[in-house]
Amino acid sequence: MVLKKLNDLKRLVEDGPRRKLVLAAAQDQHSLGAIIKAWKDNIIEPILVGDKDEIENICKSNNYDITGVKIINEPNIEKSIEIAVKMVSSKQADILMKGKTGSATLLRSVLNKEWGLRTGNLLSHFALFEVATYKKVIAVTDVAMNIAPSLHDKIAIVNNSVDCLNRLGYKNPKVAVLGAVEMVNENMKATLDAALLSKMNQRDQIKNCIIDGPLAFDNAVSLESAQLKGIKSEVAGDTDLLLMPDIEVGNVLYKSLVFFANAKVASIILGASVPIVLTSRSDSEQAKYDSILLAAAASRI
Amino acid sequence: MEEKVLALKKKHRVAIAWGQDINTIGAVNKAVKKGLIDAILIGKPAEIRKACKSEGIDDRIFTLIESDNESHASSEAVRLAKAGDADIVMKGLVGTDKFLRAVMDKQKGLMLPNAVLSYVCAIEIPAYHKLLFITDPAVIPFPDLDQKIAMARYAIEMAQKFGIKKPKIALIGATEKMSNHFHNSVDYSVMCKMADRNQIQNCIMDGPLDIFLACDKKSIEIKGVETPVNGDADILLFPSIESSNPFYKGLMLFARGELAGLIRGTEKPVIVMSRSESEKSKYFCIALSCLMA
Repeated sequence: MVLKKLNDLKRLVEDGPRRKLVLAAAQDQHSLGAIIKAWKDNIIEPILVGDKDEIENICKSNNYDITGVKIINEPNIEKSIEIAVKMVSSKQADILMKGKTGSATLLRSVLNKEWGLRTGNLLSHFALFEVATYKKVIAVTDVAMNIAPSLHDKIAIVNNSVDCLNRLGYKNPKVAVLGAVEMVNENMKATLDAALLSKMNQRDQIKNCIIDGPLAFDNAVSLESAQLKGIKSEVAGDTDLLLMPDIEVGNVLYKSLVFFANAKVASIILGASVPIVLTSRSDSEQAKYDSILLAAAASRI
Repeated sequence: MEEKVLALKKKHRVAIAWGQDINTIGAVNKAVKKGLIDAILIGKPAEIRKACKSEGIDDRIFTLIESDNESHASSEAVRLAKAGDADIVMKGLVGTDKFLRAVMDKQKGLMLPNAVLSYVCAIEIPAYHKLLFITDPAVIPFPDLDQKIAMARYAIEMAQKFGIKKPKIALIGATEKMSNHFHNSVDYSVMCKMADRNQIQNCIMDGPLDIFLACDKKSIEIKGVETPVNGDADILLFPSIESSNPFYKGLMLFARGELAGLIRGTEKPVIVMSRSESEKSKYFCIALSCLMA
């Protein structure tokens, strides 16, 4: 199965039971707006943990109808996060979302050794883009979390993302390891790592996907440009997942897709026991909604 | 191999440094008689004549050039090749280090600019269905990535001279798994991608592979490893002399192997053989150098 638009994710959540999403420090207008909409669209069942008065005020002034939504009153932000995380670790919720708090504060709780959501895997950021100029959605990792991943980290990041794509219905997603060129160059570490990842994939040390790299961005997304360069690759021109060499390349690509190419984006954090919606305050309500949808589609039920 | 060389229908001139021992002269004599080469023996004429006489070889079939020491004989052989008066240089009774010093001399030597000096050999063993090319069992102790790439290219070039258009090259390790902790498997992965991207051309490359996966189809089936080399390798590239040298010597001793090997990276073929090699192997080396000249 191939997703053409982010909205296609809805097909994945239609049939199953509604995923329970817990919003930590829920007194946040943008998050509430997106959650209420996702709830009305039958994608999730929300649980709000936070300052109940503030939550109700925000909903009132924005005309959000939250009749029937479970609210747990905890005005203290750190405590509300702890409650939310514990709800997930005790299996009372399927998705964790960040409300009015910094990412670092939330992640600290996620990584708590006693009651956090650790799995032993590296946490990584996974973004899914809908761009008018590409034939399907394209996943990009890691544009926000791991700064300069080592080869070891890159393996973990690919595994996280492939596992997620598998759950989204991609049996053997095509993974392009991005470089500035498609040739191996000893002076460009990204190209060496790409070669190693390709070989590990051939040897079944990284499973359930097809990896090729290095590929330059154009070779990864355009078959024509790959053919012009004479690149023989199953991945070139048909990439499902782009692996970034580091956060600088990733973040710039992410933002240029959004600002210059009008891309729609959904993003989640992978590697914890459940998907985490950790959108930033500057993300649009639509991006938050799409991220919730992605988290619901990717959650294990 | 002999057929291939005779088909060249061209006699090559071989300059032999300090070629005055029975062993060398015996092999050279055979090649001259077969019509492969004309031989120029550089050394003490009296010694050469004595050696010929003891083997019943007619010394008049050789050109003799007088020299009174090993180093001089080596530089003289190199000088002849450099001047175009010889096509191939061969080591006689001189020590390998003295001989190679003349070959590698920056001004007067035979090294190609910026070339990696390496050694490739072809081995014939009854237990394998075709010639097996091996690199590098003699010159580079622990090749780095660039040296491994050069070794691969030399071996591919040699295999092509034997009519194998796209030789299968196996990069040899102890296991087929890639691990960041095993430096060679890292180099090998990089090389495979370079072959994918045509940065190393005219070959089918895979590695790391162990010898079984490289040369035995049954092992491929048992292990279920998918590899384009498919148990049918033409070339084995080893990670070090310590692994390749015992491997080839083991083949010679226990598997009735015969070998032909050459130094690569030089303008003209340079033959270096150890004294313990059989006369047949020595003859094969001369034939191989004619093929590569």
